[in-house]
Amino acid sequence: MTDPADRRADSARGPLVRAAAQQFAHKPYALVNLDDVVAAVEISRGAMYFHFPSKQALATAVIEEACAEGREAAAGILANKLSGIETLIDLSYLVAVSELGDDLVRAGLYLLESIGRADGLEVARFGEAIDGLTQIAKRAIREGDIAEDRDPHDIARVLVSTYMGARHTSDLDDPQQFLLDLEKTWMLLLPGFANPERVGYLSQFIRRRTTVASGKVSSPRPKS
Amino acid sequence: MRARQPRSEATRRKIVDAAVELFNDVGYANTGLGDIVERAGLTKGALYHHFSSKEALAVAIIEEGSAILFRTFVGVCRSSAPALECMIHGVLVCVNMADSDKLVRMGTVLLRTFAKFTEVSTLNYRAWVVEMGKQARRAQAEGDMRNDIDAEQAGEFIVGAMLGTELIANAVHGGYDIVGRVTATWQLMLPAIASEQSLEYLREFVARESLRFGHESQA
Repeated sequence: MTDPADRRADSARGPLVRAAAQQFAHKPYALVNLDDVVAAVEISRGAMYFHFPSKQALATAVIEEACAEGREAAAGILANKLSGIETLIDLSYLVAVSELGDDLVRAGLYLLESIGRADGLEVARFGEAIDGLTQIAKRAIREGDIAEDRDPHDIARVLVSTYMGARHTSDLDDPQQFLLDLEKTWMLLLPGFANPERVGYLSQFIRRRTTVASGKVSSPRPKS
Repeated sequence: MRARQPRSEATRRKIVDAAVELFNDVGYANTGLGDIVERAGLTKGALYHHFSSKEALAVAIIEEGSAILFRTFVGVCRSSAPALECMIHGVLVCVNMADSDKLVRMGTVLLRTFAKFTEVSTLNYRAWVVEMGKQARRAQAEGDMRNDIDAEQAGEFIVGAMLGTELIANAVHGGYDIVGRVTATWQLMLPAIASEQSLEYLREFVARESLRFGHESQA
């Protein structure tokens, strides 16, 4: 049994990660002030240091939490048992809709790029994602949606790269535009690896996903 | 739901699994409680602690099997796909599951046997009709389903058509090519329920599903 004091300390961990995510999702790592995080949770700095000895530790927790949430959501998509290529498309829309509506995922991806570079987290987490997508791409090749002579690992890598790139070239604070840009990215990528006779159907599949996703996200966030 | 002790839960699991296997091998009518006890390696007392009769055991299998199927369908409907795609795909995932999961399959067989004699089946069918109607309404909002039909009626019609297809496939064709028969039913229904703009796409969607799940059930 845990004693009451332990449990109280325990319960501050989750809110701290959430509050930190809110900061990291909208400010560069260097500009995030831990005082804001502590104030949002209404605990002392000391209590925070009990859980997270440094800003880096807090940021790492945000990354891990976001990855855990991402894994769980991805498992849900896989459980839907769509075809390989449809699963790849749905996963990209899942990530987009998640980070358009959820600071945790958005902060996790930002942090992975900024602080993840130093401690190898970036390589590990993107590697994990690419390996998972490679398996799905392999299935899409077996199902005839992706051309036989394409390398599934290359496809997985390109998908992750273009998504992460689009986060910079498009605007996450304009959800509708971001989704349209994601659709355009798919339309440009698709003929590069899809079987030519499947492109027509898959283009429609993608457009239909954009429509549903658009209904799920809010309108543009006012610039602060 | 009532919380069960872990050990007691394990015993219950053993009984249900043994019953599913025996009902599957020799049929519900030919299975005695003694056989189940023997297969599970337990005492009669342990069985009676959980189930008062063979019927109670059957109802438990129906409940568990239909809960799994319904949860699966609702899970698909909560995905990022348009509603009409969810309806088509969700039914096929369930068909596939009834084909590959022993407990689910036995649940559907017993559900048919006990239909009208137990409240479980009424509740189960009603839940499906409600969920399908809900998806039909969403499909109308998304422009995939014609707006001049009643969504609730469409939902009830689709559930009926699917159950009927499954019944005929099992009764007349010995369960052969159930995926092909379910997708054929969808192809026949689509022109009646789909909007003009979406019909062609949805036909192709169904054709793809038919190919993929057909392969899977033969593999």
